[in-house]
Amino acid sequence: MYACLYRPPAPSDVPTPEAESLRSRPRDSEAVWASGGGAPRELKKDDMVSIAREFSPRYERHGDHVVTLDVSGLGRLFGAPRAIGEAIAGDAARRGARVRVALAGTWTAARILAMARPGVTVVERGAEAAALASLGIGVLASVIVTPEAESLRSRPRGSEAAVKKVDAFAIFRSWGIKALGELAALPASDLAARLGRQGPVWQALARGEDLRPLTPDLAEERFDGSIDLEWPIEGLEPLSFVLTRLLEPLSTQLERRDRGAAVLHVQLGLVTDATHASRLELPAPIRDVRTLRTLALLDLESHPPDAAIDRVTVVIEPTPGRVLQHTLFTRATPTPEQISTLLARLGALMGQDRIGAPAAVDSYRPGAFAMRAFGATSSLFTSRGAPPPLAPAASHSLALEPRLSRSGEGCHSAVISALRRCRQPVPARVALDRDRPVRVTTDRRGFAGGMVVQCAGPWRTSGDWWAGRAGTAGRAGGENPVQPVPPIQPVPPAWHRDEWDVALGDGAVYRIFRDRDTDAWFIDAVVD
Amino acid sequence: MPALARADLETLLRARKLDRTLTTVLPLPSDTGPHDSLAVSATDVAPLDARLGGGLPRGQLSELVGPRSSGRTSLLLRMLAAATARGELVALIDVLDSFDVESAQAAGIDLDRLLWIRGHVVMNPGFCRDLNQRALEQAVKALTLVLQAGNFGLVVFDAADAPSDAIRRLPFTTWLRLQRMVEGSQTTCVLVGGERLARSSAGLTLQLGRDGSGIRFTGRLFDGLAVDARVVRSRTRPQEQADVRVSLSTTCA
Repeated sequence: MYACLYRPPAPSDVPTPEAESLRSRPRDSEAVWASGGGAPRELKKDDMVSIAREFSPRYERHGDHVVTLDVSGLGRLFGAPRAIGEAIAGDAARRGARVRVALAGTWTAARILAMARPGVTVVERGAEAAALASLGIGVLASVIVTPEAESLRSRPRGSEAAVKKVDAFAIFRSWGIKALGELAALPASDLAARLGRQGPVWQALARGEDLRPLTPDLAEERFDGSIDLEWPIEGLEPLSFVLTRLLEPLSTQLERRDRGAAVLHVQLGLVTDATHASRLELPAPIRDVRTLRTLALLDLESHPPDAAIDRVTVVIEPTPGRVLQHTLFTRATPTPEQISTLLARLGALMGQDRIGAPAAVDSYRPGAFAMRAFGATSSLFTSRGAPPPLAPAASHSLALEPRLSRSGEGCHSAVISALRRCRQPVPARVALDRDRPVRVTTDRRGFAGGMVVQCAGPWRTSGDWWAGRAGTAGRAGGENPVQPVPPIQPVPPAWHRDEWDVALGDGAVYRIFRDRDTDAWFIDAVVD
Repeated sequence: MPALARADLETLLRARKLDRTLTTVLPLPSDTGPHDSLAVSATDVAPLDARLGGGLPRGQLSELVGPRSSGRTSLLLRMLAAATARGELVALIDVLDSFDVESAQAAGIDLDRLLWIRGHVVMNPGFCRDLNQRALEQAVKALTLVLQAGNFGLVVFDAADAPSDAIRRLPFTTWLRLQRMVEGSQTTCVLVGGERLARSSAGLTLQLGRDGSGIRFTGRLFDGLAVDARVVRSRTRPQEQADVRVSLSTTCA
């Protein structure tokens, strides 16, 4: 059972779509205005909501004058539906407002009836269409629900007023339809053929059918807290107690609302009147106090405030809670809280740019890679991700086929041979014989060098020449005849090289290359 | 009568598998039927898994040891790919920052499930003699944090090609402490190095090397490595020490 409260707008009100539609319809609007019994008291916007909230937490506001609420179950408290309606009207009267109340089995019917009839109107479940049949068709203009209106409904309040007028009334008038019952009796298919998708929508409204369920409004809740400190504090240890005191009630509040923190703001008021603000984006909704406190402290450890703190404010941006179903049959994975804490600790230890998940980039540049935030994929925590194909991708790589040496059993599961990259190519001296490397030496510690036993190559590769000048790969110094090498440029924008795979006498296999612009040799990687 | 009661008791304990004490070796996985995925982490190299009783043991430090170009990284990437294919999260502490993403992708690693921690150890520290020492200690701290977080299926500490003097200067209690941390968990911790790192703290040490056929080239193409794997230490399967030898021959992909 649904109830609808309608407060007719006062003449001094700014014209709303409802009022506009009512005024544009001579007969119906006169009836509505006459039944209103004069201009009602000016109510604040929240008054209608507060009346509805007195009776049900499930209410939906339609503009400033109409509120629909679910009154199911109130019969045990008030009795018959009419008693419920009278109780609602009485509550409004005690607040000095005169409202119209209608109760029906659908909230659409209740809304239309409240718009059209004064006082308290009660319609039994299933009798909505009959109750609406005698109403003028113009009343639909105030409850029109179009796709445009639905999309506007998700926007901030008041945007419903921007619903476009549908010129269907003119069509209905031309058809001679004046009452909702006449519209409800039309063949649905013919109506759709003439009015398109809106035709059945109009007809459903005329029958008092709900096009969508009631969507209760939730009060906007702020998750924040602050503490003014009588004595300024310095250091993170005392701050942890303050943060705990602030976060514990917020965590409880989040839990009640089934929310988690998506972003955590910590604002520290300093004795210098400055404000030290930090913002932590969490990879998953978290409301664990210890985790939130640890993350905030780790961030403050990395970016400490300049002066003592005399005010602490914590603001949490909520997000819907995380539903996690554990299973007995799959391995437990670290929770988002653990991952967040671990990443924060690792970031403080190694540097934020040194941790993450590797990502391949769309480039032929040797050794190119990117890093992403680890745990950004929610499937890591919610479900088991799809196993990746173990087949080797198309690349310049090698496969290992294991076999048992004694048993002689063969195994065909390919193991991809891997490279160990030198992030900065190691300068090397390479002796050539008929353009093939025969000896590789380097001054770099850890690379023994030696005679080339076998070699394969060359493979020529180049790229990004359109972005910059090639020839600076791995250059640790030295002159450049064309333009000076920028001092800090670990990854040159272009490359142009001949690559070789060489096996040295000590058994090591290197990937070396000759920079074609500078004719310099470098060790790029080790096959391992 | 007392002898009979004792025999009955022993039979009962044997049936309940309660006849072992801490002084005896742990039961072999093969004795208990199929390999228990909660006890071992499969390398996905079938002959190696068969010889290791299903894979590397969980809750222990394992070592992959070998010289340069001995297939350490290839086997490591294979293990990481197998772990991510099982849906596990894995972590790699890359001490020398030498991880090749292209090779990892080719090996089939689900990169989203890999936490990559890039170390600061350099091959050529120049005059900063203690630079690598600090960086290595930092990497060990990172490994400690990852193990503390728990629930990673495979955690790798890749110190291959790291300066041996810096590794030797780490306190020997480091590995004992790490062994205690990983003990009892379902994490497989793998240390990769040119030489043995954990020594007596290691549960299983796999020595890799190039076998007789060495490195193969076919025409102008590098065909790959011929690798010989040998178990030099195994706490759970001591009788297998120096007994398991698996050769990995290479072909072009």
